[in-house]
Amino acid sequence: MKPKFLSLTVNDETHQLMVLPNRTLQDVLRDDLHLTGTKDSCGQGACGSCTVLVDGQPTRSCLTLAAAVEGQKITTIEGLAQGDKLHPVQEAFVNLHGIQCGFCSPGMILTAYALLQENPNPTETEIRKAISGNVCRCTGYAKAVEAIKSLAERGVSHG
Amino acid sequence: MRLPPFDYAEPKSLAEALTLKGEHQEAAKVLAGGTEAMVQMKLRLTEPKVVMNIKKIPGMSGLEEKGEEIVIGANTSLKEIAGSGLIKEKAGAVAEAARLVASPTIAAMATMAGNILQNTRCMYYDQSAIVLSGLEKCYKRGGRICLALKGSNRCFSVYQGDIAPALMACGGKVVLEKAGGTRTIPLENLFTGNGVNPLAIASDEILTRVILPKPKGAFASAYRKLRIRGSVDYPLTAAAAFIALTPDQKINAARIVIGAAGPAPRIVEHTLQGKSLHEAELNAVADQAYSLSEGVDNLTMPGAYRRKMVRVFTKRAILGAFQALKGGF
Repeated sequence: MKPKFLSLTVNDETHQLMVLPNRTLQDVLRDDLHLTGTKDSCGQGACGSCTVLVDGQPTRSCLTLAAAVEGQKITTIEGLAQGDKLHPVQEAFVNLHGIQCGFCSPGMILTAYALLQENPNPTETEIRKAISGNVCRCTGYAKAVEAIKSLAERGVSHG
Repeated sequence: MRLPPFDYAEPKSLAEALTLKGEHQEAAKVLAGGTEAMVQMKLRLTEPKVVMNIKKIPGMSGLEEKGEEIVIGANTSLKEIAGSGLIKEKAGAVAEAARLVASPTIAAMATMAGNILQNTRCMYYDQSAIVLSGLEKCYKRGGRICLALKGSNRCFSVYQGDIAPALMACGGKVVLEKAGGTRTIPLENLFTGNGVNPLAIASDEILTRVILPKPKGAFASAYRKLRIRGSVDYPLTAAAAFIALTPDQKINAARIVIGAAGPAPRIVEHTLQGKSLHEAELNAVADQAYSLSEGVDNLTMPGAYRRKMVRVFTKRAILGAFQALKGGF
């Protein structure tokens, strides 16, 4: 197994890295780039806490090889806020108590962000379906759904 | 969970991928969506020498109509299949099955071929190396016992794919290619019925596309699946039904397939032909499905309950197909 030279674009910044082929995108984001907002939990794609966006599409970083996403645009939770200003999706989660322990939040917020990009005015059923792969053990989902719904109702741009 | 060591290859063309697969045989693991292969590697259920990513090979993804057939590329995502108007119209069961796989994020990553080619599962097999190190080797791991059904002489692992039963009900075929050869087989022939080696794909072959016929006249199909949660879970029992009607509302053709009830999806024999829905003896079909199913305590619900549910879900799938036909009653 030989390390491979990789060029990864994460949150609009390009990183040149030497990476072993068996390392996942999650490993590289957390351990090499110290972007620990991407959480490590089940490691099998079931819980959704490692979700990042690859070319705008929610993706399980624990099931994605770093080498396989070279040249694609990766967005982690750290890439949503503009400096100190939270993204509207993050703000809605904070204001409407969609966050408790916060472990599922990065994955759920990125999934919600991608949903709102694709469908700016989702119904509650569509919201529930979209985040159905993001397991949360605190909120009971109701507050997270409310937070996403508030954005749909406001019809704000989530650019 | 860490992955085992391997070399990584990204072939630029199908020809290059087939040559590599021919060279390395079982030692090369095909990777596309990663939702199955990565987990199998993390658990050390497979430790390939080379991981070959075929996801970026041009021409291996997407749906197209070719005459009387629909051709689905191996790398087409389940999200695309679930959302395709063509599949919804011509093979409703396949669209339903794709929509019910795991969760939306997984369905966007996972591919058609990857879902078909998944291994059989069992709670005594799909575990990490640490857990397995404390268990005696079962048939599936090269041993001489079954841990789920003590004293049995074979493996009782379960094929839990959603897409295959639906494709089989809709008459799907798969194209298997190797360097210097291509074969097209009905999907049912891809399954050996043996839990140890459930798939009849050679170590130098790659599944490149799925072919579905375009049925004519009044027809519909449906897929129904039992699971504990409304998302994420694999099917614990599943059934797919395809029904075509004559102009006088009699059943012209019916194909019923059960899934997650044994090491392979199984086609259920029936005598529905020529009958209307009122005349059709759905309980007899359900009984036949039950007799083909296996229920061993090796998944998240008791085997006896899963087996009972085969009857229920077989009827639900048939009624679902009639409902989709509208006016079929």
